[in-house]
Amino acid sequence: MRLLLQERTYSLTLTILLVGIGATITFPQTFPTFGNWSQLLLNLSIDTIVAVGMMLLLVSGVFDLSVGSVVAFSGGVAAYTMITLGMPMPLAIIAALASACLVGLANGYLIAYQGINPMIQTLATMGIVRGVALLVSGAGIQNLPYWFNAISQSRLLGIQMPVWYMLLIVATFAFLMNRTIFFRRYYYIGGNERAADLSGIRVRNMKLWGYVLTALLAGVAGILLASRLGTALPTAGRGLELRVITAVILGGASLSGGHGKIIGALLGTVFMGLISNVMVLARVSGYWQEIILGLILIAAVWSDKALQKRSSFA
Amino acid sequence: MKKLLILSLLALSSCELPPRQSTTSTTLNSITDSATSETEEEYVMVTTAVSMPMYVHHDQAAFLRWGREKGVKTSILGPAEWDVPSQINIIEEVIGTRPTGLLINGTDPAIGPVINKAVAAGIPTVVYDSDIPSSKRHAFLGTDWYEIGQMQGKEMVRLLGGKGKIAYMGILGLTNMEAGFRGLLDVFKAYPGIEVVGKFDDKANVEEAARITSDLLSAHPDLAGLCGFDSNSGPGIGLAVKESGRAGKVKITTVDWEPEHLQLVREGVIHMLAGQKRELFTWYGAQFLYDMVHQTNKLSGNDRRAGIINVPNSINTGLLRITKENVNEFITK
Repeated sequence: MRLLLQERTYSLTLTILLVGIGATITFPQTFPTFGNWSQLLLNLSIDTIVAVGMMLLLVSGVFDLSVGSVVAFSGGVAAYTMITLGMPMPLAIIAALASACLVGLANGYLIAYQGINPMIQTLATMGIVRGVALLVSGAGIQNLPYWFNAISQSRLLGIQMPVWYMLLIVATFAFLMNRTIFFRRYYYIGGNERAADLSGIRVRNMKLWGYVLTALLAGVAGILLASRLGTALPTAGRGLELRVITAVILGGASLSGGHGKIIGALLGTVFMGLISNVMVLARVSGYWQEIILGLILIAAVWSDKALQKRSSFA
Repeated sequence: MKKLLILSLLALSSCELPPRQSTTSTTLNSITDSATSETEEEYVMVTTAVSMPMYVHHDQAAFLRWGREKGVKTSILGPAEWDVPSQINIIEEVIGTRPTGLLINGTDPAIGPVINKAVAAGIPTVVYDSDIPSSKRHAFLGTDWYEIGQMQGKEMVRLLGGKGKIAYMGILGLTNMEAGFRGLLDVFKAYPGIEVVGKFDDKANVEEAARITSDLLSAHPDLAGLCGFDSNSGPGIGLAVKESGRAGKVKITTVDWEPEHLQLVREGVIHMLAGQKRELFTWYGAQFLYDMVHQTNKLSGNDRRAGIINVPNSINTGLLRITKENVNEFITK
């Protein structure tokens, strides 16, 4: 019981199960179907891939508001290089991922080495990159090549590919964060940056790589989204940064750093996706969705604080 | 290693590639006879930016009124912000619940594949506002954004006598708005005396539109005209022009006819509004769905078997031209 109270991943899993059982009883014809669940997972796959990177950053005590713009930017670069420049698909994907990494490199360098506040830096990057995405893709680039679309639109065991990519990325990063010394250092940095620095961890270098990895994951998400839609939308990913930060905090990350598990990022997005899905099934209007999701976030953070306080007294 | 190889091969063999795109056509793919009685029917409208006042007051109000009059259930879904991927996600989830009919705001060509999915699932699907011609939607009702741009361009040429500096703004990157921008610029091509000083993104935000306008008025004291393309462009442009004391002197054309737009026309700040007949395309869009479900007008012995869609394929509901001369007709209070 104490573990359940202390560990967000357990309490969130239990909450997801309870919501799932409630939805199954309320909507027995539509909710517990393979079609609905594969759609639900597909809808949250892009957010989850970005959330993995965000969890990594939040663990080390920083965050990135430019990820939504990078999603639009990388999809735009891939489409632009394929359609306008006529480059082959693999090269276009490499160009898109490299462009995303450059954004991460700029963010990481200016934050870690020049000491710019992460919020100011990534807010500025968010605007700049969105502007470049608009320049690159204009009113959106349609008619992307069949094999590019096949990256996301293919299915494995009846489930669309982004779900599998998401699971692969979550599993890989969960392994890396748990088992490798390099990634464990992010917890030390988030726990106490000064102590980490004194113990020989190259904090600035680690932060820089954290931003590069996050931007790379946002770049992957952008390519998958463009491939799924068959269109590179310059408006894609608007508001995604806040959705992802919300999901990651729900999943157990702390804004002050040092806490969080990659699986928590997945659980956070699953929970938000589940609530959205239930609201669609219940035909709850969009006005209420925002209000309900906001209230859930406040309730989750508040209950977490209350439970942790109680368990520390127990 | 051997096991891993076998597993990988098995996984690969169960991989399905997406179907190649077939040629575009409006087809009737076995619309289901799901509606047994009117009370069981549910018509769902899916838009984006669901809380945008223009949508709430016109589209959604007309759709809800239609539902009440017909005695059928109506639901309105969509993300709160302008978020096309979220709109697509919601449409996908709604398809799984098999509504009687789907009324979809044609926000972007990217929603084409999901419209095709709804059609393939046998759900009558009507697109409104902007068309998605690449999709297999059963019908479209709305306006041509290129025409909106042309209408504004022609009015601006008339107001300026074919000479002067102008700027225009809207939400950059949206397909329908970019079509509007093209319509505007195509009109100006025939008038070399019109100088376009810039295209600006006001992000559908009144404050942003006002900020851009005041900056433009400072940078170009001889700016003669401004054109707005989203619902909040007009109020923002109007506010900044009024604050600069140049109301009436700087010519303004914009879209939509919310109360604040109409008031600005009455005050002589905005010179022309290009208004869409939003109530018409949502009301009749819903009615088209109803007529498809109920086979209101039969054109053959069995329209479904014959693959006939018994509603018009495409309807242009046209535009309203609102100026100081006729604005009082549109102010209801």
